[in-house]
Amino acid sequence: MAPTSTPKDSELRVTLRQWLERESVFRVLPLLPVQLLILSLLAVPFLLTIYISLLRWRITRGFWTAAPWGGVTNFVEALTDEDFLYAVLRTFVFAGFAVAFELLIGFGLALLTYREFRGRRVYLTVFLIPMMIIPVVVGYDFSMLLVDTGPLNSVLSVLTGQDVRIRWMSDYRTAQVAVVLADIWQWTPLTFLIFVSGLSALPPEPIKAARVMGATRGQVFRHVQLPLLKPVIVIAVVIRAMEALKIFDMPMLLTQGGPGNATETLSIFLWRNAWVFNKISYAAAASLLVLVLFSGVIFLSIWLLKRERAQLEEVRP
Amino acid sequence: MRRGRVAAGLRHAVLGAWVLVVLFPVFWMVLTSFKDAGDWVSWPTRWAPFVDFEPTLLNYRQIFYIGGTTQSGELRREAAEQAYVIWKGMADSVVIVTIASVASLLLGSALAYAISRFGTGGRNYPYTILTIRMLPPIVVAIPMLIYYTSIPELFANLGGARVEFFDTYSGLILLYIATTLPYVIWMMLAFIDEVPRELEHAARLMGAGRLSTIGKVVFPLVASGMTVTLLFVFILNWSEFLLALTLSQPKVLTLPVLLNKFQSAVEGRLYGPQAAIGTVVTIPVVILGFLIQKHLVKGFSFGMIRR
Repeated sequence: MAPTSTPKDSELRVTLRQWLERESVFRVLPLLPVQLLILSLLAVPFLLTIYISLLRWRITRGFWTAAPWGGVTNFVEALTDEDFLYAVLRTFVFAGFAVAFELLIGFGLALLTYREFRGRRVYLTVFLIPMMIIPVVVGYDFSMLLVDTGPLNSVLSVLTGQDVRIRWMSDYRTAQVAVVLADIWQWTPLTFLIFVSGLSALPPEPIKAARVMGATRGQVFRHVQLPLLKPVIVIAVVIRAMEALKIFDMPMLLTQGGPGNATETLSIFLWRNAWVFNKISYAAAASLLVLVLFSGVIFLSIWLLKRERAQLEEVRP
Repeated sequence: MRRGRVAAGLRHAVLGAWVLVVLFPVFWMVLTSFKDAGDWVSWPTRWAPFVDFEPTLLNYRQIFYIGGTTQSGELRREAAEQAYVIWKGMADSVVIVTIASVASLLLGSALAYAISRFGTGGRNYPYTILTIRMLPPIVVAIPMLIYYTSIPELFANLGGARVEFFDTYSGLILLYIATTLPYVIWMMLAFIDEVPRELEHAARLMGAGRLSTIGKVVFPLVASGMTVTLLFVFILNWSEFLLALTLSQPKVLTLPVLLNKFQSAVEGRLYGPQAAIGTVVTIPVVILGFLIQKHLVKGFSFGMIRR
């Protein structure tokens, strides 16, 4: 007899197994670690932010427990701060442009590649590459391309026959475009992937039926495929929008928010205030305002997602 | 039949154009990684290896610290001093990202199963958890730093052992798990929802326990979905910059933070070594993506299609 399986030991194991078999245990057990993690990791800092935002604390002036009370002055200051308001506007404009192009290009490419044809695998492989590169690397890469002795100016010189040495990152307009372009380059693969996935998962029966009944390809696309695909489009918009509004890495590496603050998005604004200007309390107040602002976006996206899911479940057998 | 050929040609033209857009920046990075210091930003731009410039492996030897000198020796010494951290950056990134991604996958999959089968947390739970992902990390990062740096004192006051989260593996790992859980839950929920409950009922009727039902019936059917989810979460964690920048260094140094540091005080940006690191850290992820491409292309519809 094996020495390890004493009667007591096996009894314990049987009880444990029986305990695990209970539905009530099975239902709740996976929730515990997740809730614990979220509460301890996100709820506490959230309360901390609220408290700090009401102080007048700068890192340079000792520990936060000793900082003077400030009340709502930080909030008033933020709401009247032109830099903050412009950063809000800029973030939404950047995200708007980036997401719009990512969706359009991603969808177009997906339409051309979701069916089997010769060379499809090669295209798929290549198209997914940018998404797998670290954004920091993409930032460096684009700064190499756009440096005044870089390949872009080189090509332009050949095309125009002149010596083109434009400093792309010093002009606020082109710097803004560069940040958006880098984001499009990096994240179009994700929308592409979502759309290819969705298109190839569409049930073939309704499409065949429509074709049999004499619908053209365009009609099938408009009246059969597109409606079926709507939930996928919604989730692509939601996922990309929520990531794009957080944009930080690209402008941080390409331009550090400059020239001036032409590419200063909300994340960079908060970053600068907290760690460069050491105005922690002010940054905390501004980030709470950002949260209020974002909660509008969050509610909207969740409402959209819920509606799509509800419709899906209705038709589900 | 001719119309079909024109269409196919057009398709290849459009797709080929996008291939160029995608590959050119990658090509330029790889090309720069083989250039010596004098060729990084020289004008006219150096395009062709062996014709315009002499390709060199110096950048690679530099970043892996295998020695070597070049025209601008001083600059190179500076790079070499930073070079020893490359290995450390790699090790830190691999450890943190692997543990965080796998833990997130396991926790999230278990919860997704409970949500799918028992409605754990209520109808709104998946949406509630998605809001975590919508919080900008910078909003989390500021209080997080204060929180993490206060933890040792808080716990020391309680009389416990010294717990450190700031600038440690565990600090970043916990945060990475929390920030990627929403995606894991959403993706796995879609995969698990597709597994017919009847299969599980059958297994249970034949006397299998809950755990072995999951192991033998559910797991094989969602394994490819789990692979896809793992890769996606791995990419997100592998790329994470802001939280690592705030909550680690100097003891823990992940690759994105390290890359950001890899600059010369003398010469500004060290394009060559940067390009070499960029190439080196990109290759493994691209290969991984290529290997599971088949699953990737099927697994990204987030349960938004009725099959």
